[in-house]
Amino acid sequence: MELSIDRLTKHYGHKIAVDRVSATLTPGVYGLLGANGAGKTTLMRMLCAILEPTSGEVRLNGKEVSAMGGAYRDVLGYLPQDFGYYPSYTAAEFLSYIAALKGIPREAAKRRVRELLEMLDLQSVSNKKIKTFSGGMKQRVGIAQSLLNNPQVLILDEPTSGLDPKERIRLRNLLSEYAADKIVLLSTHIVSDVEAIADEVLVMNAGQFIMHGTVPELAERVRGKVWELTVPREKARLWQAQVTVANYRHEGDQVALRILSDDKPSEQATPCEPILDDAYLYYFGAKEA
Amino acid sequence: MELFALEHKRLWRTPRVWICVLLCFIYSVVWGSVMWYQWLGFGTQNDSTDIYDHNFDGYTAIRDWQEQFSQFGDHWTDETLQKIVAAYQSYDIYEKPGIQSMGDWILAYECLHDLYQELADPENQQYQPLILYADTTKLTDFYQRRADLLEFTLEATRQNEGMSEADKQMLLDMNSQIQEPWPYEWTRGWAELSFDWSDLAPYLAIALAFLFSGEWHNSTAPMLHTIKYGWKKLARVKVLSGMAFALELYALIAVGDVAAQLIFLGTSGWDLPIQYVDILAVAPWNMLQAELYKLAFGLIGVFGYAGLVMLMSALVKSNVLALVFSLAFVYVPDVLGRYLPKWLLAVSQYLPLVGSPNDIYGYNIFHIFGKSVWSPWMMITVPGLIGIVCIPLAIRGWSRRERV
Repeated sequence: MELSIDRLTKHYGHKIAVDRVSATLTPGVYGLLGANGAGKTTLMRMLCAILEPTSGEVRLNGKEVSAMGGAYRDVLGYLPQDFGYYPSYTAAEFLSYIAALKGIPREAAKRRVRELLEMLDLQSVSNKKIKTFSGGMKQRVGIAQSLLNNPQVLILDEPTSGLDPKERIRLRNLLSEYAADKIVLLSTHIVSDVEAIADEVLVMNAGQFIMHGTVPELAERVRGKVWELTVPREKARLWQAQVTVANYRHEGDQVALRILSDDKPSEQATPCEPILDDAYLYYFGAKEA
Repeated sequence: MELFALEHKRLWRTPRVWICVLLCFIYSVVWGSVMWYQWLGFGTQNDSTDIYDHNFDGYTAIRDWQEQFSQFGDHWTDETLQKIVAAYQSYDIYEKPGIQSMGDWILAYECLHDLYQELADPENQQYQPLILYADTTKLTDFYQRRADLLEFTLEATRQNEGMSEADKQMLLDMNSQIQEPWPYEWTRGWAELSFDWSDLAPYLAIALAFLFSGEWHNSTAPMLHTIKYGWKKLARVKVLSGMAFALELYALIAVGDVAAQLIFLGTSGWDLPIQYVDILAVAPWNMLQAELYKLAFGLIGVFGYAGLVMLMSALVKSNVLALVFSLAFVYVPDVLGRYLPKWLLAVSQYLPLVGSPNDIYGYNIFHIFGKSVWSPWMMITVPGLIGIVCIPLAIRGWSRRERV
């Protein structure tokens, strides 16, 4: 299975939201990283065939997805960024309703709804109205609806927002397992989520992919540019003003700074093992990130 | 079918919708029918100056009046009119206030006022109505006088409002089909029957205006676009469930109203001519036919209005705008009527739930493809056509909007 994105572009008047983006996705988890306004949501909506691209195309196994119509939607699962629900529905009713809209036979839908409620730890509240749920619980209902039809292509826009750490770990595990033979694309600006589960990371900025690779590959790009320097507390602010500081940690009267710099910032600085956070911050700059 | 059932169920279980249905039922059936028959409309009165001073005895009062007026004969002749007028002249209407509102006072009053003006005493007229002092022996030639007045009225309409000779003749031909003498019994109950279907408009609008726009309000639109069946099928199902809801609401109110009518008024008098409501009406219809027409007018109006509301809902993303635009169709012609050009006001009457089924008492005629069409037929055709046109437009409008 292969989802190919070919020079996909979206203009809103003179504003370019997505600019000639190309990639080929095969089974696995893809993390789409980018600051707010980078074009992630627009790209995802085009991948779901909700939004018509200005130019370019999306193909699943060589077939243009907008031409596939129902056949594409049958293998697609989508969690929008602002997941909406019907306030008067319970979680179970809502999932059953969406299952019917997705054309899942009633008996199979019943089983799948039960399974997903359990998988996302919602079984104890399945008969409560969604409007009474916390943000994290609503988000889990949204994730459950995207998984109802056991989609081959799962697109999740900010799935971890509102989830507590335990639920984020649960979701990561679920998606890792799910992606064994399916394409999962998730967008987030929480780098650690992507780092933990993404097989590949696509970094977007100003509507373009500016980096593309596995987590170690992207981290490797900043090898030799990540330093640790311990300075007295009163000097920490000075350093922050001069260089990009990725982390700031108190150690007694001293402060350990994780610095991103092409050159060794100080004689006392020691090189560090780079992580994805460093690469992201290095390319976006502290302000944009 | 499963999708339809689900959408239909979803519509009904929205608190806003069932609250609307409940309020509509209470207002139209409980208050507008049951309380009207039993209390405000037909309950006996102690004080004619206080509209709320009625007793809660409409059911028995109606039977009393039906019985009382059966003494005047079973056909409307000069003698019937004379007897009724004589009876009114013998009552002390100040001692028995209900006599005016409950008996066939309005019928007799209008007959005299329209057909026997020469009996009016200019000096007496400002103190008491003609019915209370007219010489009953001079109340003769009712049908001839009515025919003369009708001829005069139609001729005046022809000269002043541009009615053609052919149209006038068409109306006279209709009139000639009315069987004389008219059957008679207490007419007041049938004359009071009113179906103001425009009352349903706010309830329908509140229930259906959010059908499509609500998906934007709930932020469910992007998710719905990725369902297997696609937006178009979903839109069709939504429209279908909206129409089903509109018809169910209509049925609830119509059945409630008719049931109350059957319980309180019974069926007697169904074959009375509608000329008892307006003596110059030309349609050769009886009360039952008029009632069926009014029910059909309501059904088609509700269907057409539901189509309009759903179209508004599909064209705008805002619930509030969808509701405001939907209500505007019914209330703007009403509120701004006096400021609108005459032709526009006339056209607006053909919008669903705007016009009145009382057009059956009128003389409006349209010329369509060379054929003369009596206005009431247009009144139950145009709103239906509007509904039919709105359905595909709503589906298309939603589908275009859905491309987020």
